[in-house]
Amino acid sequence: MRRASLPAVVVVLACVIVLAAGPLVLPPFYVRVGQLMLYSAGLALAWTILGGFAGYASFGHAAFIGVGAFAAGLVELQLSGLPPALQLAIGLVAGALACAVLSAAVAYPILRLRGTFFAIAMLGVSHVCAELNNNIDFFQGSLGLNFPPVAPVSVEPETFFYELYLAAGLVVLTIAWWIQRSRFGAGLLSIREDEDTARMLGVPTERYKRMAFVVSAVLTGLLGVIYAHSLGYITTDSVYRDDTNLDLIVYSMLGGMGTLFGPVVGAFVLVFVIQVVLARLLDFHLFATGLLLVIIVLAAPGGILGLVRDFWARRRRDAAMPAE
Amino acid sequence: MSASSILRVDRLSKSFRGLKAISDVSFAIDPGSITSIIGPNGAGKSTLFNLITGYLAPNSGEVHFSGRSITGLATNRIAGLGIARAFQIARPFRDLSVFENVRIGALFGKSGPRDVTATTARALELAGIAHLADRSAGALTVGQLRHLEVARAIATRADLLLADEPCAGLNPTETAAMIDVLRRIRASGVTVVLVEHDMPSVMEVSDRLLVLDAGSLIADGPPHDVASDAHVIAAYLGTPDSSASPSLSR
Amino acid sequence: MNLVAQTIVDGLVLGGIYALAAVGFSLIFGVLHVINLSHGVLVLIGAYLALVFSQTLHVDPLLTIPLVMVVLFAIGYVYQRFLIQYTVGRTPLGSMLLTFGVALMLQNVMIWLFSPDMKNITPTYAFASFHLAGLAFDAVRVSALVASLVLLCCLAFLLKFSALGRVIRATAQQTLAARLCGVNVRHVYALTFAVSAAFAGAAGIVIGIILPFSPADEALWTLNAFVVVVLGGVGSPAGALLGGLLLGIANTLTAQYVGPAFPNVTMFLLLVLLLLVRPNGLLGNAFSASR
Repeated sequence: MRRASLPAVVVVLACVIVLAAGPLVLPPFYVRVGQLMLYSAGLALAWTILGGFAGYASFGHAAFIGVGAFAAGLVELQLSGLPPALQLAIGLVAGALACAVLSAAVAYPILRLRGTFFAIAMLGVSHVCAELNNNIDFFQGSLGLNFPPVAPVSVEPETFFYELYLAAGLVVLTIAWWIQRSRFGAGLLSIREDEDTARMLGVPTERYKRMAFVVSAVLTGLLGVIYAHSLGYITTDSVYRDDTNLDLIVYSMLGGMGTLFGPVVGAFVLVFVIQVVLARLLDFHLFATGLLLVIIVLAAPGGILGLVRDFWARRRRDAAMPAE
Repeated sequence: MSASSILRVDRLSKSFRGLKAISDVSFAIDPGSITSIIGPNGAGKSTLFNLITGYLAPNSGEVHFSGRSITGLATNRIAGLGIARAFQIARPFRDLSVFENVRIGALFGKSGPRDVTATTARALELAGIAHLADRSAGALTVGQLRHLEVARAIATRADLLLADEPCAGLNPTETAAMIDVLRRIRASGVTVVLVEHDMPSVMEVSDRLLVLDAGSLIADGPPHDVASDAHVIAAYLGTPDSSASPSLSR
Repeated sequence: MNLVAQTIVDGLVLGGIYALAAVGFSLIFGVLHVINLSHGVLVLIGAYLALVFSQTLHVDPLLTIPLVMVVLFAIGYVYQRFLIQYTVGRTPLGSMLLTFGVALMLQNVMIWLFSPDMKNITPTYAFASFHLAGLAFDAVRVSALVASLVLLCCLAFLLKFSALGRVIRATAQQTLAARLCGVNVRHVYALTFAVSAAFAGAAGIVIGIILPFSPADEALWTLNAFVVVVLGGVGSPAGALLGGLLLGIANTLTAQYVGPAFPNVTMFLLLVLLLLVRPNGLLGNAFSASR
């Protein structure tokens, strides 16, 4: 396993400290934007474990947000007497378990598909989950589900969830970082590059794909549980969202598909642009996201990090040129 | 046929819809040798490799590797037992560096990840591409890609390397470099079996030649014996009175 | 018994329309190997154009079909030649995301122009119905079905017998060989897309007279098209018809016997199941026959 470089760790820790101080200095609107940025970054990282590292781009990860959220909510409904922290903890476990079971079951058939077929099949899975959630009364999808308030009394809910998202995002980042540097991660990379050759070289491709799928699903589900608590009340449409399905791909594409920090950068940038820059222009959100997607595909397939990398490569090449 | 042959093929046959691609082929490979399989086009050389590595299942016959039967096993299982294959059409991991490409072989090869960096470095040395370690695989020439294929294959700590026309399309300098690599691999203890068309190189480097023609083994022995075998000459050039050969009276 | 028959007939009627709505998507997938996620948006553009034309020109909406098809042909050609072409041949994800981006943009434009509310195109014979062999038929749906079948036949005819159809099929089967024979592949791709867009637009009109529509429906029609293609086969009107009919019947049977809210679940389940079992559809890929 390759060592993480010390400067990188220091930079990340510094960023975390700066981000953690956010709610102390920012007005409530920006704290909420910050929540969304951190939540989206966490989701993007969870997605990229399967999509960016292994190359299996899923168009339906919102399924796990929904499954995680509703599993947690339904379980917590039965626990109304317990202290809020415990309720949240149990909810997280319930959400994680539900996602683990669903993803493990779906993984066997669905990972036999490749490329676009896999992407669309996942979209299908997401919609099936959403429809079942909405139409089967037990899930209370159309009725809606209430979540107990879990923020400690002494802390503003806004701040509490901000820090919770930050902590969760850090956990996901650490896991993704660890995976990327491990033998498992090298295997995923080889699967992305050329799955058949990887198998020939001895990579246990089927097992690795399934592992990546389940890890990605569980982490997504955990974030979904936090999201549901921050909303307080959810219906099917609040969590099983097609725009989320799309956004998850855009974050990684915008930041740099296949990289570790690309999805984080992409999430931060996209959320900031939509929520802050275009705040007054609600009617433009679809248009702006679509335009951004078109521009990235045509002009910057390596995303922001790809552009940065090309820039530095060109600088280095120019510097190495002998003086004419 | 020594009792400790590393690869033994017994009466192997494969038909495709009535056409006998491989017909009753038997041979045994000594460990630590370089054996070349030659023959006219369409003789079944690639089919033979596919049968040995599990891409195709034989209709009859057996394949044994280091004493155990591998007939009918899945390709990746056979790869895990210590047989590596280097393909003519290289399939590198394009976005990774040469080092990272070969490292995958070392990470997942036979008997698990051991001394990964050392194994990778050694494989790069043997294949003669240590100086390209940091170059992106997508930027290599065809010749360099062949070396990468071989490096990645031997990084899996394989005991047997099956090389599919490693010199195809290479110029004389590149061909000589590739032959050198195969010699170094033999010297490191790995057995090499190759399919090749480049006769001078084959004669120079092989300990033994197997000649296939129309699915059957028509010669098996040291290079010079095989080269002067009448059947072999007939297979490649035709017999003097056959209608396929050019007539001087035309 | 009568209820089952009625349900199946309703499903077939709906299915014919689904087929038309999917055939353009199928053609693009088969010829350009592009998954056009803006297909649904093109269908809706057809519907909105028909709404506008039929109101301003005071004609029956079905009569606006030729005009709408011409407009969408032009849009499709330009869209493919100057945008999608850059993603052809690269990773499939690229063209998917590009067309998805365009779909979002066009969806937003439609919301600006027409508002997000549901709209309807009501032809003059909107509430007529007739009976045949004990089964009820709604006049609007039947004329929509007839229009769909006629258009599907036209497309099949175009592909099989016209020079353009031959060039499209040749390019789809062996692109390099077509190039070597002097075919301007980019132009052919653009023409194929233009044809696909034209038929998508026509489908929009047919849909618009039987169902209420809004800009948000675009994703559903794209997914519908995908399911039809996966069911019936890639690249041929026959495949689209087969897939469409199967989907239509599945839809009405589910709505009748499981519950009115469940047809979408069936559609997605069918999609996932078929992708696993036979991703190229029951009739397979019409353009790979020679491989």
